[in-house]
This record gives sequence, C-alpha cells and structure tokens, in this order.
Amino acid sequence: MASKVTERALNLIKSMPRVALNNIKPLPHTSFTKKTDRRGNRKKKGRGDKGQGARGTWDPLGYEGGQNPLIDTSPRERYYAQYAVRRQYPPVSLLELQRLVDLNRLDTSKPIDITSICNTGLFNFDVSKNHFGVNLTDEGCDQFAAKINLEVQWTSELVIAAIEKNGGTITTRYYDPPCLAALYDPLAFFKKGQPIPKCKLPPQDALAYYSDPNFRGYLADPEQILEAREKLAQKYGYKLPDLTGDPVKEMLLMRKDPLQIFYGLEPGWIVNLKDKCVLKPKDEDYLKYYNTSY
Amino acid sequence: MTPVTYSYKSHVSLEKVYPDSNQDFLRKRDELPKAEALEKFEGFIPIDQLEITMSKSSGPGGQHVNKVNSKVEMRFHLESAEWIPAWIKPRLMKQEHGRVTKEGYFVVRSDMTRKQMLNQADCLNKLRNMIYKASELPQELTSEEIDLKEKRILKAKAGILREKRTRSLIKQNRLSPQY
Repeated sequence: MASKVTERALNLIKSMPRVALNNIKPLPHTSFTKKTDRRGNRKKKGRGDKGQGARGTWDPLGYEGGQNPLIDTSPRERYYAQYAVRRQYPPVSLLELQRLVDLNRLDTSKPIDITSICNTGLFNFDVSKNHFGVNLTDEGCDQFAAKINLEVQWTSELVIAAIEKNGGTITTRYYDPPCLAALYDPLAFFKKGQPIPKCKLPPQDALAYYSDPNFRGYLADPEQILEAREKLAQKYGYKLPDLTGDPVKEMLLMRKDPLQIFYGLEPGWIVNLKDKCVLKPKDEDYLKYYNTSY
Repeated sequence: MTPVTYSYKSHVSLEKVYPDSNQDFLRKRDELPKAEALEKFEGFIPIDQLEITMSKSSGPGGQHVNKVNSKVEMRFHLESAEWIPAWIKPRLMKQEHGRVTKEGYFVVRSDMTRKQMLNQADCLNKLRNMIYKASELPQELTSEEIDLKEKRILKAKAGILREKRTRSLIKQNRLSPQY
C-alpha cells in the first residue's frame, strides 16, 4: 500500500487542471525585460549641454592647462630600449686570467678559448640572458705575463697590446647562441647526440668589429693584422718577438675556421661518448650544408 | 701538438676570403733602413735603444699611488741616436732644450694615467710629436698664393690713397677760396 504522503500527492495531481501554457511559468532569470525605448530626446546625441563634451574639443590626455605636464617633468631614461636585441659580454679581467694561468687552471701550451675559461668552473654565462661570450677587460694589464693563444668575444686595444707584448696572440671571435650553448658545456652537448652546429656569421652591427684588424677580428685580413701588430708595438713601446724556428709558433697560429666551434672537430660530426667514436656524414648534401654559411 | 684544425676549410675560411694574403701574421718582416740618412722622420722608434725606467707616480691616490710603479721615464742619448735624421737633431735640441741633460740625454716622462702601459704610450706619443714638430719646414708659397697676396696689397694701397684724397678735400674746404 502506498504511503500517506504519496497518496495525498497523487490525489492532489488528479484534482489539478492539465498542464498547459496558461498555468506554467519559466525558471527564474531565464527571461529578461526589454530595454525601455529611449527614442525621445535625439537632439543632444547623448552629449549633454554645451561645453567641451558637446563640442569635442577636449584637451589632449595629460594636458594640465599649460603647466608642464607630469610626463615632461623628468627626462627619458631608456633603460630597457632594445633589451632583447642588445648583446652582452660578461667581463673577465686580465688579472683573473693571469691568476688562472698561475694556478694551473689554464693550460698555456694549448689555445685558450671560451670553453677553456668556462671549464675552470669559475666563470659562467647564460645564453638566455643575451650573453654572447667573454669581454676581456684591461684591469691587470701591467701585471699580465703569460704567453698564450687566446680567443675571446670582445676586447679593447690595451688588452691586445698587453697580450702581444708578452709574445702571445689574441683573436676576437663571434659565436651565435646555439653554438655558445654547446661551447659552454661541451660534455652536456655531446650527450645530446646532436651534430655539432656550424657557426653563423656575425650580425650586421657586429660584422665591422669582427672584420677589423685593429681588434684582431677572426674575419680580418692576416696581412692587415700583421701591420696592426707592428703599429701597436710602436704605439705602446714593446718589441715583437722573432718567432722563426720557435715550436710555439704553430700553437700561436692555430685558428678555428669561421664555421667551426671546437678545435679538431668539424660541424656536422656527432661525438658518441658511449661508444667512444665520432660519426661523420658522407652524403654530399650534408657536407655542402656544413661547409657553407648560407 | 698536431694541428688537426687545418684540414677543415669552409667556404668562408680566410684562405678563400683573402687568397692573396699570407696567413702567417707572426712572420718577421724586413727591417727598415737606417733613419739617419733619411730625409724625413717616418715615426719609427726602436724601443730597445731607449732607457725606460718605472717609478712611483705623484699626486693623490692612496695605497695604489704609493706602491705601484706607474710613472714611466724614457731617455736616450740624442747625438748618438741613429733613428732620428741628422738634420732634425739640432732643431730638436733647440726646441726642447729644457729636456736635454748636461750629458746630452733627452728625457721624456709621464704619469698621466693609473696604468704603466698607457703612460709608456703617452711618453712615446709625446716624443713622436716633438720630433715631428722639430722637422716642420716653412712651406713655400704657391704662385696662386703669391698673386693673391700682391692683389690684396694693391687693393689696400688703393684704399689708403682714396682715404687720403677724401681727407685732403675736407681740409681744403675749410680754407678760404684762393684765386
């Protein structure tokens, strides 16, 4: 037998009229009242009476009636202008370099490049922060006494003089960010199993610097570099050593090709650390790709 | 060490970009001829023929200026210097007589900067400029310059004469007429 509640409910429904449009209503908030018709006072077009509001002669934004506006009270400081495009070269001084050499953290019998400096563990740079390499500064130029073959990304005339005075050589060399990431930690790069990238040529605003013999750019004419060396020796007052027959000369002349990033390794090769071998491409198209800069 | 790098040559290697250049930029070049017989001072100074001494600089600077030898003094015997043309030496002696010691040593000093290398460069720069200045000869006037000068002199003289005649008329007009 049905309960009393259900019996009562069913009896109620029996006595109620049939569900029709005249005895139901929609759920709350489903229908909205129409807007009231505002077609009444069209004369002012919603702009009110007279004044600048009606006549559209507002003062420009920031105008203070002739008084120096707030935006003009202090000068512009373009702190972040072109921040994403500007290249940064974290500094390393000649004093630090000399200290590294003295403490045997750097091997002067081999060419020193950015990888050697990073492998000492004392210098880091971050490619994601627009770091494009090392800037060698002139602090400690009077105390510098190492004969090295150095490769940096940015330097000044005094630094070049200090290094060549001691019988060494210096080159300024550009690396694009993917190559720089590989150079920063070659071991981690080789573990990826990717082919060694070919280095791109410098961007337009840097091409002049890296083609300049006065800054020992890697794209400069060797004849002009020879003349620049002699000129600098005369300017700063030291004598260039005679290296004919010197076994160190071969090491001092060692240069990477403009597309090459590691000494002794070509772009396109894969260094397999696990099987301890180097994989080299043979296909003509690959070889052409890794041999040209375009 | 084996130069393994030399085998890889891309299309932008320096041998291909500069085919006419000698890649060995550490080679020794032929020495310049003796300067004494030369007519002009070319700017070359042989560093090993100069006596260079470092000492402490003067002026403020605390511990750094007290301890570091940043001042540079260069001296050489002027008469026996083979790298200066002979005709310049007496002129240089006259021009910089204050720098020459009794023994005949020419002295140049600099403690301009904090760095000894820059001070040495400053000394050499000063020395070169002195020699260049001592070797300056009075330049002869060109024919165009002579013509221009004459023209200007004549013009000036004509102007003076005009002034004189005007003045004379003024003075004459002050006198009573003489018949």
